[in-house]
This record gives sequence, C-alpha cells and structure tokens, in this order.
Amino acid sequence: MENELPDATWKERLLYFLGRRQAFLIEGSSMKPTLSEGDAILIVPRSQIEINDIVLAHHPYKESVKILKRVSQINDNGSYILLGDNESESTDSRTFGPILPKEILGKAVCRLK
Amino acid sequence: MFDKLKERFTGTLEVAEAHCDGPCGVYDPAQARIEAESVLAMTKKILDLKVPEGDDAKAHAAYHNTLTRFIVIKEERAELAKHHLMVLWTDYFKPDHLAKYPDLHETFWKAAKLCSSCKQEVSLQHAEELMDAVKKVHEMFWGSKGKDVAWYTAS
Repeated sequence: MENELPDATWKERLLYFLGRRQAFLIEGSSMKPTLSEGDAILIVPRSQIEINDIVLAHHPYKESVKILKRVSQINDNGSYILLGDNESESTDSRTFGPILPKEILGKAVCRLK
Repeated sequence: MFDKLKERFTGTLEVAEAHCDGPCGVYDPAQARIEAESVLAMTKKILDLKVPEGDDAKAHAAYHNTLTRFIVIKEERAELAKHHLMVLWTDYFKPDHLAKYPDLHETFWKAAKLCSSCKQEVSLQHAEELMDAVKKVHEMFWGSKGKDVAWYTAS
C-alpha cells in the first residue's frame, strides 16, 4: 500500500545514529491507519517535499508543538495543504489553513520498530 | 551524537503530534445530552413548584430560594449545553461530514437557538425540543464514526 511507511533498514538506523535522521514518537490518532499512537518514525530534515509525503511541521499557532500530517496539495505559492489520514479525527489545514514551507521540518521516511 | 544514543537507549523520543485540537477521542455528545437533561429537569421543577399560600415569610423565602436555584441551574446548564454543542460543531465536524449530513449546520444552529430559548423561557416544549436536537446530534456524531451507539438518557 503506497501510504504505508516502510520499516527502518539498517542504513536508515545508521543514518539516525549519525544524526542524519531524527526520531519522533507519535501522539494522537489523526494519522491512523498509517501511524498509531506510540509508533516511532524517522524524519529526514530539510528534504524535498512532494504530494502524499508525510511531513513534520511546526503547528501554525502553537510554537512548541510539532505536527505530523500528509501533504495533500502544494499550492502555487509553495504552501502546503496538510491533512491527517484519519480525517474525522484530525485538526489540519481544513482548520488552520495552508502551511508555509519554512514551517516544514522534514519528511517521514520510515518507522522504527 | 550523545543525545541520539541516549534517545536510542532510553526511548525518550521527541513527540510529533498527530492530534485533533481536543485530544483525540474525547469528543462525545453525551456532555451536551447531560446538560440538556438538566435543563429539561429544571424546567419541569420550575413549572411544578407551588407558590406558598398565605403570608408566611419563611415559606415565601424558601419558595424564592428554591425557584432562584432552579433558574440558576437551568441558566448554567443551558449555557453549558450550548458550549458542548459548539465544540462538536466547530471542532469535531468537518466540511466532508456535510456530504453525509446536509442538514448538519441547520441541526446545530437550531440546537444552539433552543439552548438560548430555554434560558429565556420556562418552556417544556423547547426543553424537549432541545433534547430531540441533541439526540439528532448524537446520531450524526456516532454515524460519522461508523459506530452504532444507542441513545440513552440518565433520567
């Protein structure tokens, strides 16, 4: 299934240890069924973002909060429409609008087991 | 590097939130239902309250005290019912729910108006209509989650 995140390979784990990947723990269920609460993922910082990527971004109104959503659309001005996979239980661009590129922290590449 | 090793071995990872604004799963129209039930109960109690006969000052004081308490509770609970309905309307329900429930906005708008009516009036009819409106919200809410949750009341 194209929406699924692959499990981390040894190469991704090595890159994580070398500081080229960042690990995050998922809280909440807005990315179900792709990701559930308690899952851990690896993020590639400052990566090229495409539609359907899962990205980590600053919450537009809560400075200390980082959110994980899927890129649904890239607008002409470069901003991103982010949606949760579990749309009925997600607060995302439908509520807070497009996210600017500078707010995107990275792209999810795999899950840690 | 040290931080990464520490993370790896202690499991203390930074959090990426995949939330809705209210922590996920806490939305439940039961909150509005409980408040609406209180409004209905207080409305009935006010209508059933008997004005004391005669000039007994203590009896009149007790009557006014009881009536005031009933009114205050009705006022507070109607406001809380409206609050809980507004949270469901503005935070839980999303534009895509409109496809399944085209009368979603109308339902919430009427329910919120009924909360106001129940504060302004002592109307059994409007208190019962508020319960009906909350029941409809209950059905929309659980229907949107694909769950069959039976409607029930506490009283």
